[in-house]
Parts: sequence; C-alpha cells; structure tokens
Amino acid sequence: MRLLLLLPLVLATGCGATVRGSPLSSRPPEPQAGPAIYLSTGSAPRPYRTLGFAQVTGYGVTVAGFSDVGEAGLDGTIRGTLSQVAATMGGDGIINIEFIDENPPTEVERVSDLSETVSSAFSGKGQVKTRNRSVVVTGEVIQFLSAP
Amino acid sequence: MGRRLVLLLGVVVALGGCTTVDVARVPDAPQGRGVFVSTSDLPGPYKSLGVVQATRRGVLLFGAVDPAGTDLQADLDDQLLPQVRMMGGDGVINARFQQTQYTLPTRLLFAILFFIPLPSEVTITGEVVKLEAGAQPPGLAGSAAAQAR
Repeated sequence: MRLLLLLPLVLATGCGATVRGSPLSSRPPEPQAGPAIYLSTGSAPRPYRTLGFAQVTGYGVTVAGFSDVGEAGLDGTIRGTLSQVAATMGGDGIINIEFIDENPPTEVERVSDLSETVSSAFSGKGQVKTRNRSVVVTGEVIQFLSAP
Repeated sequence: MGRRLVLLLGVVVALGGCTTVDVARVPDAPQGRGVFVSTSDLPGPYKSLGVVQATRRGVLLFGAVDPAGTDLQADLDDQLLPQVRMMGGDGVINARFQQTQYTLPTRLLFAILFFIPLPSEVTITGEVVKLEAGAQPPGLAGSAAAQAR
C-alpha cells in the first residue's frame, strides 16, 4: 500500500532527461574556431549546391545507469561521423541537421538501473543492467559555391 | 433497435473524428530579450552554444492523470528553458518537438483499464544560440522589416 502511495511521487520527480552536444558552427562562421565542416540546424550562410543527404545512427549502451558506452552520443554522431560523411562526399557543410536521442535515460531510470545492478551483485547473480541507446542524425550535405 | 443503432452510429461518428491537441506557450520575452524558442532559423549573427534535447518520460494514470508532466509545456518550462539559461543562451532555434498523443477512446479505455498505465513521452530538440550585436530574435526582424515598408 505504501508503495502504491509512493508511486505518483516517484513518477512525478526526476522523469526528465536532458542531452547536450557541443556547439555547431556560428553565423557568420568563425574561421579559426569551430568545426572545419560547416554544421547547422538551419540554413546555409551563403550560396551552395546540394550534394546529397545523410542519415547516421549511432548505437550504444548505458551500463548500470551511469556509464555510456558506444557511439550513441550527439557529439560523436554530428561532429564525428556526419562530418566525416560530408567530407567523404566532398562537401563543405551539413545544413538542416535534425537529431534525436531515442532512449535517453531519466534520473529515475539511471538510479533504478544502478540499484538493480548493485543488488544483483550483492545477491551473487552479478547481472549488470544495460539499456540500449541510439542517436539518429540527418542532414543535407552541401558544397559552397563561393569562398567565405 | 432503431434508437440503439442511431446511438451506435453517433458514437462511431463522434469517435471517428477524434483529434488530440496539445499546445505550449513560450514565456513572454520583454523587449524581445528573454529566452526565445523558435522552430525557424535565424539570419544571425549568433554564436552556437550547442544542440540540446529535452525529454520527459512517464505514464498516464487512468488514461488522463499525468504525474510526471510529459506534455510540451512541462518539457519546455521544466526541462528545456532551465538548460538554455544554464548554458547562457538567448534562445533556441530550429526547435523540433514530439509528444505522445492518445485519442479520447484510448484514454477512456485505459480509464476503465485503470490498472494499466499508458506510456507517455515528450521531446524537444533544438540549437541553443547566443545573439551577437545587431541580431534580433526570430520574428522581431520580420516585424521591423514590415514596419520599414
């Protein structure tokens, strides 16, 4: 009965997850700072031609609620893989970037996974709670028509 | 028999056109200098502070009670805006959002099946920016241009 009463309280607190990534390109782009490939969630700062489109999905695992392993990070997918894809295609930038971390663990879920792992370890089972993660990023690969 | 058929048809028609609506209001930005959130781009100049994703996840009890606040407004107010302020941003551009929505029949069904909670989730993504000298938040530049004409 007590657990039932506590349920709404647990549900109401710590149910949010915020995921951040490093800065993309500023506008106007700074020559020295920022990534070599122009990256933006918006449009291009000057004329361009479209080379194509790219979608990158980074997979990873959250181990025991606190350790993120793998490629399911915003930085790794946007500034890493997506930039490499653009460079491979001969592009100068990626515009209209959209991204989604499909399963970001909330604080409650992290604590739950950790406590489950700890209790499993103490009971001798030794099972580690893992949570699959994936980040999907899409964008339009472009090539600038003029020098900055 | 005829009445029942009419009633049944009425229910079918009423439920067939079910629409679920969720809205979120962004806070007033006095003089246009508060934290803004826009689904559009910004001509600049601005400095990118990074991308951000705010997610809230929980369950709907009895098909309607949302103790975790998994709606757009709660995600905006309690998750996204504090993060933007913490990053020192002036606002969010190119925001995208997605909220789990259930039709009224589904909610009614799960109100009856009250022991089964409905999973619910809301996510807002966007790019946090800091405006530089001469830049204006989305909308204000357009207004200024319209006034100039």
